[in-house]
Amino acid sequence: MNHNPHMNTTAAEGSPYVIEMRGITKEFPGIKANDNITLQLKRGEIHALLGENGAGKSTLMSVLFGLYQPDEGQIFRDGVPVKINDPNDATALGIGMVHQHFKLVECFSVLDNIILGAETTKLGFLQKKEARRKVLDLSEKYGLHIDPDAIVEDITVGMQQRTEILKMLYRDNDILIFDEPTAVLTPQEIEELMEIMKGLAAEGKSILFITHKLAEIMAVADRCTVLRKGKYIGTVNTADTTKQELSDMMVGRHVQLVVEKDEAVPGDVVLSVRNLRVKSKLQKKDVVRRVSFDVHAGEIVCIAGIDGNGQSEFIHALTGLEPVGAGKIVLGGKDITNASVRNRSFMGLSHIPEDRHKHGLILDYSLEQNMVLQRYFEPEFQNHGFIRFNEVREYADNLIEKYDVRSGQGAATTVRSMSGGNQQKAIIARELSRDHKLLVAVQPTRGLDVGAIEFIHKEIIKERNAGRAILLVSLELDEVMTLSDRILVMFEGEIVGEFDPKKTDVQTLGMYMAGAKRQNSSKEEMTDAE
Amino acid sequence: MRNDKKITVSERTSAPMLNEQPKNGGINGFFAKEGTQSVLASLVCISAGLIIGFIVMLLISAFAERMSIADAFSGLAILVCGPFSSGSLNYITTNFGDMIFYAAPLILTGLSVAIAFKTGLFNIGAPGQFLMGTAGSLYVALSIDSRESGTGVAVWLLALLVGMICGMVWGAIPGLFKAFFGVNEVIVCIMTNWIAANLVSWFFSEKTNLINTGYGKSGYLITTEMTGNSTPKIGLDKVFSGSYIDSGIFIAAAVAVIIYIVLNKTIFGYELKACGNNRNAARYAGMNEKRNIILSMAIAGCLAALGGAVYYLNPGIEFAFSSAYSKLPDYGFNGIPVALLASNNPVGVIFSGIFLRYLGQGGDNLTSAGFNRYIADIIIALIIYFAGFSKLIRDLINKKRQMSMKKTKAAEDNSGAKKDREA
Repeated sequence: MNHNPHMNTTAAEGSPYVIEMRGITKEFPGIKANDNITLQLKRGEIHALLGENGAGKSTLMSVLFGLYQPDEGQIFRDGVPVKINDPNDATALGIGMVHQHFKLVECFSVLDNIILGAETTKLGFLQKKEARRKVLDLSEKYGLHIDPDAIVEDITVGMQQRTEILKMLYRDNDILIFDEPTAVLTPQEIEELMEIMKGLAAEGKSILFITHKLAEIMAVADRCTVLRKGKYIGTVNTADTTKQELSDMMVGRHVQLVVEKDEAVPGDVVLSVRNLRVKSKLQKKDVVRRVSFDVHAGEIVCIAGIDGNGQSEFIHALTGLEPVGAGKIVLGGKDITNASVRNRSFMGLSHIPEDRHKHGLILDYSLEQNMVLQRYFEPEFQNHGFIRFNEVREYADNLIEKYDVRSGQGAATTVRSMSGGNQQKAIIARELSRDHKLLVAVQPTRGLDVGAIEFIHKEIIKERNAGRAILLVSLELDEVMTLSDRILVMFEGEIVGEFDPKKTDVQTLGMYMAGAKRQNSSKEEMTDAE
Repeated sequence: MRNDKKITVSERTSAPMLNEQPKNGGINGFFAKEGTQSVLASLVCISAGLIIGFIVMLLISAFAERMSIADAFSGLAILVCGPFSSGSLNYITTNFGDMIFYAAPLILTGLSVAIAFKTGLFNIGAPGQFLMGTAGSLYVALSIDSRESGTGVAVWLLALLVGMICGMVWGAIPGLFKAFFGVNEVIVCIMTNWIAANLVSWFFSEKTNLINTGYGKSGYLITTEMTGNSTPKIGLDKVFSGSYIDSGIFIAAAVAVIIYIVLNKTIFGYELKACGNNRNAARYAGMNEKRNIILSMAIAGCLAALGGAVYYLNPGIEFAFSSAYSKLPDYGFNGIPVALLASNNPVGVIFSGIFLRYLGQGGDNLTSAGFNRYIADIIIALIIYFAGFSKLIRDLINKKRQMSMKKTKAAEDNSGAKKDREA
């Protein structure tokens, strides 16, 4: 490949790249987010941009989209140097972006959202008819199924994403940036998106695909550029590489993608759930129905299922965040069905919540304050109602060191400024260090990169080996298969099957998850009789 | 290093990059400090407010009859000089004393709003709580005559206490509705404000005959001077002769410090702020968020009520009970700008309360230059408005600092060899 800097003066047409970013450097106070990064996007290819959290992917894309100005380096469009001062410049160059958090007006219809900012008007009146035709044509051409008249807040996340994609296509963009598009999707929706992306590339669109999920890269990308800690590591053809190689490049050391674990040695029953029901907040019917199971000490029980089948509601009832409709929960021999969150915590329940920003952390508190979130009132940390700052700091420093939680200013860092992976590590450090018998971990690795996932998986196995009971809820089947000792599949609020991960496969689980099959479990009848 | 200080810094929500401390001190190091930037940003807000206020006065003086441009300048001088703006030396001390006196209730209502903000609640019910505090304390102070028994201070303390309890109950009502029925506290606060206003008017009216109002002006209560239960002046009236000043300012300042300690050093404050920052996480952590909402509103009510008590227990201040139902007291609402200007920092509230009163005091003297006193209100409003931009101003300061740092750095090394990385 040619790296002669004078090339662009002559080779405007001959450039093989629709976008080339050369030597991009962007510095923020205290951190070089991008350090001399090169990215070359070919016409009609799907190009993955891989890196851990904080590797500089988002910064690089913000530079391309005109949100930041690079300190050094240049951007070329079809070999011609361009200057992108703001997103309008980017749009003019045919660059469109689907952000990780969608930028949609919730109370507008899908059609209105698509044309917003690019409306055709006549005498100041909207000409929606033409727009509708164009949107419907595009949606048919690329298989992007939408209902143009549905209100955005009523539609699924998948359809919201398709709306975002149509927004780009409506503006005739031919360079499409997808920022972590699969983070919010269910496995089915991910598959659908992959097909859409392939279709778009086949039509000559060039796609930049930001992700840290290796399986997706292997599935759709043609090439992959890897960044690590703001530095350019390399670009590889996905056909010539393996998941292992990519993850090693991304993390900078050898990563165990599959955690090794010994045979489980289940002990006494720690958690026992009997005929649990949880009422829906919106409808009359129960969202969790007749759920019964046990979790023993020293085993990892995993609840698998497609998102929205009652897992969240079940966990909220189990951990005391929402009231139980009917049934019984026994933890360590004590009935906790109606116990408060704090009492459950006293009785040995640790909880890694599904949404770390909503439940897990107080973002404007410092790291040390978050580390004692459930323990601040214990004599160790207070003296006649006054916080013992030195003890809190000492305790937090210990956890930070033990669990390698990285942050700008150590224990005093505001949690909001930390990366997602380190925020999750902080929660895990806090929950594992509390005195507990049962660990409830809900999607503990969601949105994290392989390095952090490896760490968390190892910690969970360590917990199990230390004789604790672990209840894991996960939407990622890979995680379910590698980590659990026993799998329970939840469908529409019911446990429809129980499996040994060694004696089943992903396809079978998928059938149960989709509700196509169910075990006529004798267990249910047994517990009904109780 | 002790960590107490760090905790207070961390509660301010600032971009992490602002905390970066360059190794070399000097002028850049000075501007890198968050405190410097906050103060600078406030000064910019205040100057901008004054400049626009001055422009308003210029326009008025240019177009009004019998006024000249020179009046605008004297108007500005009066505003900036505040209590020192007019009259003989004697009058200045009076003015200064009055400023301090009027600032005390303002600080207390400011604290009331600030502590509710910290818990994520908007206490717009301070006027009602202020009135309840006024009613409770005046009822005690005016119904017991201590001039002969000499129990004035004890009755005064009792009056303060009763006033605070009244406000506490009044403040807890919106808290209860919020906690148990999910009703927005703003709505209940507004309703309780008017209920309080009418209740207080009725409470002291001739029909109930609870207090003999006959010796006062028609429609006004007698003052605490008549019963000898006034707030002690502890000699301040000798220093600031002719002013209303009493020891209320010390109460306000002490309460501000106590609130600061409670919020930042105690587990109770930790819980309150946790509920304010993230209610879901507070519940996840096993905190009783309902209790915290009610307590926070009760404390807020207690503080606003203390403001009313401190104000009206002064021997010189008359309470116009018969018109109380038609107008909510300004002190209640003015607590909101006081809290905003101090970014809800309890110690900052002391200064912002005094500062806003300082402008108000200047405003009261504006008539001598031919202007309406509400010019001061315009300027206060502008300053609050600009305070909304304080983050922008801080960012500008930062940008400028970085640019000057970069220039020096670029001079040091000007070679940047580019490497080809791709094979």
